Amino acid sequence: MPFTFIEIEEQKTRRIWLFFFVLLLLYFAVLAVLTVALAQTVFIPYYALLNPRFVLLLIVTSLTAASIHFFFSTLGMVDFIRDNLGALKPDPADGIHKQLLNILQEIQVVTGNRRKIECRVIPTLALNALAAVDLRGNATIAITEGLLSRATRAQLEAVMAHEAYHILSGDCLETTVAASLFGLPSSAFEKFSRSMAPSARLSPLFLLAWGLLKLSQIFNMFISREREFRADAGAVHMTRNPLALAEVLQLLSRSWRGTGFIGNGLEMLCIVNPVATVLDETEGWWADLMSTHPPIQKRIDILLKMAHARLSEQLVKAAPADKTADAAQPSEAAFHALDPQHQWQGPYTLTELCALPWISPLTWINDGGPAIERAWKMPQIDPVIFTKRLAEQELPVSRFACPSCRQPLIEMTYERTQIEQCHFCGGALVENDRIPRILARTDGPPSDRIKSLSRAVMQESQLRGIGRQMEGTGGKAIPLRNCPKCSHPMMRTFYTLAYPVQIDRCSSCGVTWFDPDELEMLQCMIANKMAAEPVASSHNADSPVKVSSS
Amino acid sequence: MAGWILLGIVVIMFLWMVVLYNGLVSLRNQVQNAWKQIDVQLKRRHDLIPNLVSTVKGAMEFEQDTLEKVISARAKAVSATSLQDKAVSENMLTQALGKLFAVMENYPQLKSNENIMQLQEELTSTENRIGFARQFYNDLVASYRTKQQVFPNNFFVNLFGGFNPEAYFEAEQTDRAVPMADLSLRTR
Repeated sequence: MPFTFIEIEEQKTRRIWLFFFVLLLLYFAVLAVLTVALAQTVFIPYYALLNPRFVLLLIVTSLTAASIHFFFSTLGMVDFIRDNLGALKPDPADGIHKQLLNILQEIQVVTGNRRKIECRVIPTLALNALAAVDLRGNATIAITEGLLSRATRAQLEAVMAHEAYHILSGDCLETTVAASLFGLPSSAFEKFSRSMAPSARLSPLFLLAWGLLKLSQIFNMFISREREFRADAGAVHMTRNPLALAEVLQLLSRSWRGTGFIGNGLEMLCIVNPVATVLDETEGWWADLMSTHPPIQKRIDILLKMAHARLSEQLVKAAPADKTADAAQPSEAAFHALDPQHQWQGPYTLTELCALPWISPLTWINDGGPAIERAWKMPQIDPVIFTKRLAEQELPVSRFACPSCRQPLIEMTYERTQIEQCHFCGGALVENDRIPRILARTDGPPSDRIKSLSRAVMQESQLRGIGRQMEGTGGKAIPLRNCPKCSHPMMRTFYTLAYPVQIDRCSSCGVTWFDPDELEMLQCMIANKMAAEPVASSHNADSPVKVSSS
Repeated sequence: MAGWILLGIVVIMFLWMVVLYNGLVSLRNQVQNAWKQIDVQLKRRHDLIPNLVSTVKGAMEFEQDTLEKVISARAKAVSATSLQDKAVSENMLTQALGKLFAVMENYPQLKSNENIMQLQEELTSTENRIGFARQFYNDLVASYRTKQQVFPNNFFVNLFGGFNPEAYFEAEQTDRAVPMADLSLRTR
């Protein structure tokens, strides 16, 4: 029995309602405990709490207070996003923004125009998207400029559908309700505890209230995680394209998600947690309890399972039409491949597959069985195509493999020093002690694209003081890829906060993995900086040293 | 006492029937509206095609045949009256457009023309909207049918009369065998 998006949607909806109910119960429990504690200090007689009228009064007062708080906190949610994140309306004269507007229209069609949704563009290079609803009924999907320019059309469609599902299913409203319900008691609790003597803080009532508040937070995060799973399923329900969503999640997991830029309690509204923490990407009871978003890898796995169901369905549908053709050809013509435009092509024989110009180790392949995998994972494809291509060109192959394509790296000379580069994706593995040499030797001028990219990254980080903001939030390294040398996880971090290029570092082998463009951008940044600000040269001397010592 | 209980049951039954009837009427209207939405999107496509053809005509002199096919398929689709004709001609139009876009890939000067890129984006979007409108229609038909067929609704639907199970929108057989014409823009 396949676990389809409809079943996931139903199961998660049941769970979310159950837990929301528990959350409400917890809310009243917290209030009751706080009132009892208060009653002790301001000498309201204990037995008043047994009086049903008093309890009713308590409930009515607390609900009124919470709704007033809720009203004011959500009234201007959309304005808040505009003012805090600088989100603007898309510009119809801009080709990419026009595409976004079109996608929004498509989403409206697939949901039957149930709700008027607007979209906004957040002017940052980070990759993220969020949805918000305010009490006036304004629903907004905000998407960052970075995601807009790096995702393909199908991927954007999937992101928009995910966010639209949050809006249509009332997730956004629930999030704000929960936040404001508990905002009041927890701030009251803090004030209360500050005014108390230290000994009184150990009173059982106080501890109980604290425990209940923590418990409610945990429930809240659990609901938030379930919501993400449900919205993923909902997005597939709308676009019927689980692979696009899986790809975009992978892209998001590898990129800067806007830490320091998107914050202020908006984390739960984002498609991936902007405060990228190790906790979010690990499984286990502790991580499960304390993170707002489920591990991205788990989400991707579920989406891939949905894709299997979908493709095998399609194959069954197509089967009666060309049964005769199937009988004529032996079973080897069974490969389907997803082309760069996100259409399934095939069936191909293995030789036909080899001849495809667009095939790469990261192409999705179905070999006629139930599974869809990246090409490098298929034992029958990998040696025939990629190893052969490398052998044909007689490239000097190294012992280590690319962490994303899993193909041997090529030993080559860059800036007159040895690095190892992937022939397929263009990423590079550099020994840490060679990085300063490369940075010092910038030979030719960088391309215009690299120049403008690095300028944009630098400007953004300076304008927003993202570096400073990130320093405050502690270590942000997430293990996402395994080191080609020792196959332990590498840490995805910024090169330095002064040069915010993202890299993967292995702390035990002393190597750094650069994705395509990353090394060039770093070179360009440092070279430009040297030219523009001679005073800041101490900085330049500083940063390479930092790397080699790590 | 027994009379009261009986009266209560009758009132509840009546209320339940009112709710059921209203629900069915509202679903029926939604299904009809969803069907019309498909037409709206098809109309949008018909309106965009002359624009596209006149823009690319100059650059694609050697592909008159492909252009002709698009124009004639559009003419057929616009003039089609019966449902069957419409479905067939719209499918032909989809395929002709797919062919045109495939050929356009060979003309790099077209790719650098912002006007054409925009038209192509509009058509891609329309194509998606047609697909989504059909999908939404089918989803509604599914819930409409379910509402009619579940127990005990099925007894009352016959009693009410006027609620026929709407037909699903089904892709043509040719549409299934041939992979969907690719209208999406190339990855940037």
